[in-house]
Amino acid sequence: MRRLRILILCCLFAWPPLAQADMVLVANPQSGIERLNRDDVVNIFMGRYRLLASGITAEPIDLADDTGLRARFYRALVNKSLAEINAYWARLVFSGKTRPPRVLDSVDAALQAVISNPGALAYLERSQIDKNVRVVFELGD
Amino acid sequence: MNSATSNSTRVHWWHGILARSLMGVVGIALLMGIAASLLVGQVVGQHVQDRALVRLGELLDTVESTVSVACFTADEQLASEVVQGLLRNTEVRRALIRAGDGEIAGAERRQRPPGTDRQMNDPAGSMVKRPIYSPFNPSEKIGEVQLEVDWAAVDAQVRESTGFATALLAVSLGLVIVAAAAMMLFLVVRPIKMTSDRLHRLDVVGGERLAMPEGHERTEIGRLSADINQITGRLVEVLEHERTLRHQQEIGQRKYQDLFDKAVSGIFVADRDGVLDSVNRAFVELTWLPEKRGDARQKLSDAGWQDLEGLLSIIRASLDHSDESGVAEDDFLLVGNRGDERWLRVAVMPVGDGSVQGTVSDVTQRKREELSARRLAITDALTGFANRVGLHRAFADIGAATAPFALVMVDLDGFKRINDAMGFPVGDELLVGVAARLREALVETDFVARVGSDEFVLVLAGEQDRKRLSERIQRLAIRLALPYDIKTNAEHIPLTVSISIGIALYPDDGADIQDLLRCAELALNFARTKGGKTYQFFEPALQEAVEHRRRLEDELRSAVSSRRLQVYFQPIIDLRQGKLVGAEALLRWFHTRHGPVSPDVFVPLAEEIGLIGEIGLVVLDEACRHAALWRQKGYDIYVSVNISVRQIPDDLPHETVREALRRHKLPADAVAIEITEGVLMGNVSVAQAWIEGLRADGLRVFLDDFGTGYSSLSYLKRFTMDTVKIDKSFIRDMNADNSDRALVDAIITMAASLGMHVVAEGIEDFQQLVLLREMGCHYGQGYYFSRPVAAEDFTATAMRINAELAELCPSVGESPAKTL
Repeated sequence: MRRLRILILCCLFAWPPLAQADMVLVANPQSGIERLNRDDVVNIFMGRYRLLASGITAEPIDLADDTGLRARFYRALVNKSLAEINAYWARLVFSGKTRPPRVLDSVDAALQAVISNPGALAYLERSQIDKNVRVVFELGD
Repeated sequence: MNSATSNSTRVHWWHGILARSLMGVVGIALLMGIAASLLVGQVVGQHVQDRALVRLGELLDTVESTVSVACFTADEQLASEVVQGLLRNTEVRRALIRAGDGEIAGAERRQRPPGTDRQMNDPAGSMVKRPIYSPFNPSEKIGEVQLEVDWAAVDAQVRESTGFATALLAVSLGLVIVAAAAMMLFLVVRPIKMTSDRLHRLDVVGGERLAMPEGHERTEIGRLSADINQITGRLVEVLEHERTLRHQQEIGQRKYQDLFDKAVSGIFVADRDGVLDSVNRAFVELTWLPEKRGDARQKLSDAGWQDLEGLLSIIRASLDHSDESGVAEDDFLLVGNRGDERWLRVAVMPVGDGSVQGTVSDVTQRKREELSARRLAITDALTGFANRVGLHRAFADIGAATAPFALVMVDLDGFKRINDAMGFPVGDELLVGVAARLREALVETDFVARVGSDEFVLVLAGEQDRKRLSERIQRLAIRLALPYDIKTNAEHIPLTVSISIGIALYPDDGADIQDLLRCAELALNFARTKGGKTYQFFEPALQEAVEHRRRLEDELRSAVSSRRLQVYFQPIIDLRQGKLVGAEALLRWFHTRHGPVSPDVFVPLAEEIGLIGEIGLVVLDEACRHAALWRQKGYDIYVSVNISVRQIPDDLPHETVREALRRHKLPADAVAIEITEGVLMGNVSVAQAWIEGLRADGLRVFLDDFGTGYSSLSYLKRFTMDTVKIDKSFIRDMNADNSDRALVDAIITMAASLGMHVVAEGIEDFQQLVLLREMGCHYGQGYYFSRPVAAEDFTATAMRINAELAELCPSVGESPAKTL
């Protein structure tokens, strides 16, 4: 029984990397940022602060829900569901002090936004990146 | 129960169970209420505080995630929102949110109630702090929420809760008290009151029972009622029983009172000193008790007791012996005022309180009868003298007499014959006459008693001198011998009687009356044997003679019973034919010590002591037996048997004689009966009838000892005899020429002329034989022929006699055929 439970747990945690390719956070190479740690990513994406170490205001980008990446991203990042994330943002939006990330409909649009905006940060699958963006954080680390 | 009791047991309400228990309950409830409200205040206060803190904690819980978001993003606006929300809670006075180092929001309630600044007093308990952690990293503290409790609000809550609880408690207690009071009232007080009221009205004696309060049949009150009923029931029973007893007692007492009042016997209750406690009517009548005088108590001594001391002494004796039956009684003589007497029997017994109850009955009649009976018992009715008992009594009363006296026993000679011949009335008259002369002859100090039919005893006081006594007695004898004029129905009979007298002297001859009487009687008997008409003083020799005679009597009795008396036979000879024709049976007594005893001695003795009848039968039987024997042997002889006057007629009835003849198969002429003149002198008619009877049977009757007694020729004429036996005294003294010869000759001649045979007794020599033959005497007996011989020697003697006679006097046998 114990062995079976362990097996199931292994499956649960091992499944996404096995089934899908790793997710990465990419930034504009001119952003001045080489790497970001997990706390940085959480603070930026969860609206705590947006100012990067290079002095550039970070512009996090969310993908539309139907891409499926957004749910995977938050789960991997803070282990929360999309409903929780939405509820979190709901409390903050009324005070107006901070805003949730800008939502783009597609990966391409996100890529495009990153390329075109030095502060932009977007998450996507490793397979979808190109040379124009820099991976600053790898989820699943 | 009466009204007094019910009044005394009246209950005021403030003394009642209800009031007491209510006061108790109220007091306890008050104490409990105060204590409880204090406790409740404490507990509720603590509870409210705790609840407030808990609620604040919960409040913080609800805002925690929001505050966490606000702190995470340092969103002051959001934090401020939250603070405002927190302040809406009345228990929060101030709210503060810190993020990192700085306060991002804070707010405070404006209005503060005065005087309730618990912040100062209890700063630690007044702040609730909660650390805030990052929503994305639970280990990272990013801020803090602080709430300050509004104690004024909390205290208000506490007061409200405490007040409510206290009010609730008070109401509950009040309700409980009311309920308890109601229960007490209805369950306890009222039933008890009801029972009590009913008890007061209850008529227990009338049999009423206490009703049980409804619904209390099984409660303690019900049981109490039942118990009361039971006890009253028992009480009523006891009362009833008591009443019945008292009733019975009353009836019993009435009965006894009736008995007491109406008893024939006198009844009294008296104390030791004779003071009367109560008496009944019969007692008063019996004792002639005087009327009560004033208030003084009557006493036994008021009545006329002759022996008052004796009466009191039996009362004391009864009281002193109360451990035994204590009954004491005696007869007491009562003498009335007029001198009349009454004998009363008084019986007393103790009643237990130091007094006695006594019964009194009149025994006068019985007493008089007793006295007269006692007098009769010692008195001779005919003469009025004392009788033998009276004589003894008189001597007993005298006791040991010291003065000498003479005891004189007087006996009338031949009184029995007078009685027999002339009848008892004549005899009694004679005795009365004698008594009268005796009485005249006595002096004051003398005493006389009649001790037998014709025996009087005179006690002559002071007489001791024999000479004077003799003279006096001779005068008395002469006086008594004078003729008596006896009156019978029709005629006067002159009667003369001689007396014999025996005299004994006190104290010479005897120390007591018994001895003296015996001595006097001995002397009297001696005088009588001397032929009467004389007196005799007692002599010791008389006593000896009497004793000798008594011994002889005993020996004679012994001899008769042991057959030591023997019958001898003396031959009777036919003088003319010279041969033996008969034998006279003669009794011989060979005394073991004295040798042969004369019949002249022992025959009278046997006659006196009544042995003669028995002896006579023995002689008759022996005579018959031997006659039969000899006749068998060829001796044709008869046997003559002497009969005493005492045997006629009862000791030798004709039938006995006939029976003896039959037994020995003898003809009547083989036995002859010899009687003396004494037989003829007694009761003539009886003797005559007896003799005639014998002769009618064929027996011959001889008249023995003829010539010694009266030899009255009239006897010979009146009694028909076969033979006369001439007494040996005539034959012995008979000579050829003396008067005796003439007498014998006359007798023989007379007998021959009367047609009687003659037997001459005591022929001792040949001369007499010859003389007698010459005078014409037919028969003879005597030593000349033979002495009386024993029966076994008789045949030899007979043979010798026959032989000798034939040889000695051949002339005798000359003409035998003619004479027979």
